[in-house]
Amino acid sequence: MTRAGTWQHGLRIAAILGLLGAAAFPLYWMFVTSMTPSSELFAPSARLFPKPSEIGVYRDAFHGTSVTTWVINSAIVAVGTTLLSIALAIFPAYALSRFRFRGMGLVGFGLFITQMLPEAMLVVPLYAIFGDLALLNTLTGLILANSAFTVPVITWILKGAIDGVPIDIEEAARIDGCSRFDIVIGVVLPLVAPTLAAAAVIAFFHGWNEYIFAQTLISDQGLRTASVGLAGFVGELSTPVHTVMAIGLMYTLPAVIFYLFVQRYVVAGMTAGSVKG
Amino acid sequence: MKPQSRTVGWAFSLLVATVLAATAPTTAFAQAKEVITFAAVTFSEAGRGDRLKAWIDKFNKSQNAIEVQPVALPFASFAKTIFTQMGGGAGPDLVRFDQIDFYAAVAANRVLQLDEIINDRDYKFTAPDRYMKVGGKRYGTPFEISNYVLLYNPTLVKDRKAPANFDEFLATAKAASGNGVYGFAYRATMAEAPGFWQDLCNFVYGFGGRWSDEQGNLTLNSPKVIEGVIAYKKMYDAGVTPKGTDAATYRRMFWEGKLAMEIDNGGVAGIFNQQAPDLPLAAAPSPFPTRAQGLVLAPFTVNANTKHKTAAFTFYKWVLQPENQKQLQDLLGASNVATVVQRSPEDLAKRPWLKVYDEQTPNSIPQLVQGQELKTPEILQIVLEHVLKVLQGGADPKTTMDDAQKQAQARVARK
Amino acid sequence: MTPDQAATRDIALAKQPARTARLEGSRWTPYLFVAPVLYLLVFQGYPLLQELVLSFTSTSLLSPAEHTFVGGQNYADLVGTTDFHHVLLITAIYTVACVVLSIGLGLVAALLLNAPFAGRGVARAMVTIPWAAPPVAVALIFTWMLNAQYGIFNRALRALGFAAGAENWLDNPSLALPAILITTIWQIFPFASVVILAALQGVSQEQREAAVIDGADRLSVFRAVVWPTIQPSVMLLALFITIWSLRRFDLIWLMTQGGPIGATNTLVIELYRRAFVYRDLGQAAAVGMVGLSIAILVTMVYFRLTLRAERTKGQR
Repeated sequence: MTRAGTWQHGLRIAAILGLLGAAAFPLYWMFVTSMTPSSELFAPSARLFPKPSEIGVYRDAFHGTSVTTWVINSAIVAVGTTLLSIALAIFPAYALSRFRFRGMGLVGFGLFITQMLPEAMLVVPLYAIFGDLALLNTLTGLILANSAFTVPVITWILKGAIDGVPIDIEEAARIDGCSRFDIVIGVVLPLVAPTLAAAAVIAFFHGWNEYIFAQTLISDQGLRTASVGLAGFVGELSTPVHTVMAIGLMYTLPAVIFYLFVQRYVVAGMTAGSVKG
Repeated sequence: MKPQSRTVGWAFSLLVATVLAATAPTTAFAQAKEVITFAAVTFSEAGRGDRLKAWIDKFNKSQNAIEVQPVALPFASFAKTIFTQMGGGAGPDLVRFDQIDFYAAVAANRVLQLDEIINDRDYKFTAPDRYMKVGGKRYGTPFEISNYVLLYNPTLVKDRKAPANFDEFLATAKAASGNGVYGFAYRATMAEAPGFWQDLCNFVYGFGGRWSDEQGNLTLNSPKVIEGVIAYKKMYDAGVTPKGTDAATYRRMFWEGKLAMEIDNGGVAGIFNQQAPDLPLAAAPSPFPTRAQGLVLAPFTVNANTKHKTAAFTFYKWVLQPENQKQLQDLLGASNVATVVQRSPEDLAKRPWLKVYDEQTPNSIPQLVQGQELKTPEILQIVLEHVLKVLQGGADPKTTMDDAQKQAQARVARK
Repeated sequence: MTPDQAATRDIALAKQPARTARLEGSRWTPYLFVAPVLYLLVFQGYPLLQELVLSFTSTSLLSPAEHTFVGGQNYADLVGTTDFHHVLLITAIYTVACVVLSIGLGLVAALLLNAPFAGRGVARAMVTIPWAAPPVAVALIFTWMLNAQYGIFNRALRALGFAAGAENWLDNPSLALPAILITTIWQIFPFASVVILAALQGVSQEQREAAVIDGADRLSVFRAVVWPTIQPSVMLLALFITIWSLRRFDLIWLMTQGGPIGATNTLVIELYRRAFVYRDLGQAAAVGMVGLSIAILVTMVYFRLTLRAERTKGQR
């Protein structure tokens, strides 16, 4: 290798390492902060590595707060949002890909509009609707509200992937006597599985992260989600920084781990959606 | 192909149905008691929250018809959440408001008028109870009344002596700063706008300023208000405050011995004392030209949307019983409650700072723009943004506050 | 036209590839299939309509059912105040910076991670971690890292001898927006890199090699071969990031509440403050409608541009 080549190679490695460092550092710092005694947090110089003897902060967080309940509630909302939004998006996505019908442009544009609406704007009218439908104070209500924001984007992603499924495969199944419903579920869906995974991740994160609805539509302590529980510590009297960071990490890690498991499919799914077209 | 696709379809529907069913509310289980809810910021505070819950448990155990359920909501989102719920025809049955939000709720008829159940002659109410009446009618009683004084850590202050005036205050703060210790802490960020307002009120009131005159005309640019703002700025520039550190953190620093002084309410002193009994803690009147300081006044109200009016009133009256008032006052720290409760001599001897707080009562003024209670959130925003311009940009206090006055007047005039 | 571009065009125009007309079915089948979208009418369409009505009324958060119609007063108030012009300016700066910086960084990351090297799989996974972190948690840790005295940013800056190490990031009118941007970019650039990485898989290896053999340098290869392939994906990405930035709330509200002195006061923050702090639903709705109009305008411009790009390519 030439001298210039080596140099470039080194630069490249450095850039990649820098990128990875920047991406991972805040979570590492959350961990370090959680494992630093409160008195050392305000010391003139920072502790750069966690202090193992401080592991008790996690036990305190478990016992002293409802973090377990919060995380479970977030998980229910996230999984529910994922399942519901995919169930609701599949058929419209198929229709937008395969059919030509009057009002199609309107449906497409309408889906785009919903991406532009901030939750903060809709929360007051939604509260009244939820009151009428007896959905206040239920996780079901949160799932319904969140899915309204994820269905449109998932519909678009799935439509892109279904566009890439050759029509001949469907026709073969049709000759076998399958109904259109069966074709979508049994033939098309498995073929767009990677994209489905990407869609699932988007919906899952939305449900896991959502804050305004969870704060307003839920008042029962036992149904509180982790985003609301954690935000409650901001500006809160006397909860030590390291405990808050521990809870923050307990809320962040499940999402990151889930993501690390499915991330291969996400890239593949996005690739399928855009490339096969 | 065909049967398989059916199965997938069924499995999918089943999965959705299961999740929806699993997340349905669990209101089905038998409820022998009538459950009413009570929302308060206090429930989410360390130490005090648990003590308050235990106090409510006493009521729950005392009888078998009603069960009061505490609803803990954090300070930052409390009013926003409760107001949305009340506007939507729901919300907790009982609410401990902050005073600023109380007036909004009264104006919108969202809390019940209480004259029928509370007869003034039956109780010996404390002085700030007068703020609970709007248009001559009672809409609440004080749940917690808390004054502001200077809290300090004697081991960090020169000669273990509290400053007596503002110049000494600055000098003491400077002397105490260094080696990782800060002399004083207060809030000066929009991320903590409500706390910033409380701290600013103390400085402005202390220098004799008021946000409005007796007719409710704004006086944001009156000389005394400007003096208070200049004092706030002097403290900001003295290099003695941990800038940008939020209240939760600097209060923590106080009990780690990293902060010498702060001006805070009696609830905070109570928390320090409960959570860190060994912490050297002393109190003195705030070192300003006048004794006037802000006042935390938290009205206890009944939601007009309640479907459990009788039960709510039963609990309400229980709260006002002398014995329960005494326990409430004790658990809240250096605060007072709706009715006059004498502190025990042992208590006063053990916690000398209690007396300093109690003596502040005649000089406490609500942190509101009087006569403009409903517009206070907007006026507050304007005032804080302008004060920040003085603190941060070094804008001239006089012209900046003139500007604030003009903007706020325009805002008040609208509608 | 590459298949990728075709897909993007279909998304953009909501158009139908002609090949599908062969599947027969009842005239009503398509409508049956899009029926689930009706659910959006209940949870988005109807509330949106109510907001539109609210924007012409004076309504309190505490009594949302009692309106006083005030005509265009709420809008007139917005147009007339310099504060609101400032909000629009901050929103524009924030949005443009988010789009440019996250796509720029995302592109660099995607290009770095596209070339083969040992441990590429792990690196690809790691780089996207920020995207998985919940915004509330991100706001919390960044606020702590940006703390003037105890934050690691300032400790590091001070150790390196920079004067900025004494600055109070979230509290300083000229540094608060950069601080919020750093946080936002950290959170969203991985999404951009994932999308671009996916698009890069469509770059033809032969064409790239042919260009290299022709003696083209890296930049020319990128411009001639890589960019045309990924351009439609990048455009679509830009549109989504624009829309998402216009409505981002949690991160900004928890870190600065739009302050100091309005330095980070975007449209959604202004909307939230008017609705929930000032309790003025009418004014808030008017702010929301202005925001929605801007988002629709941006989307329409985007569709126009894509369409024109398609046409020019067609003529070539």
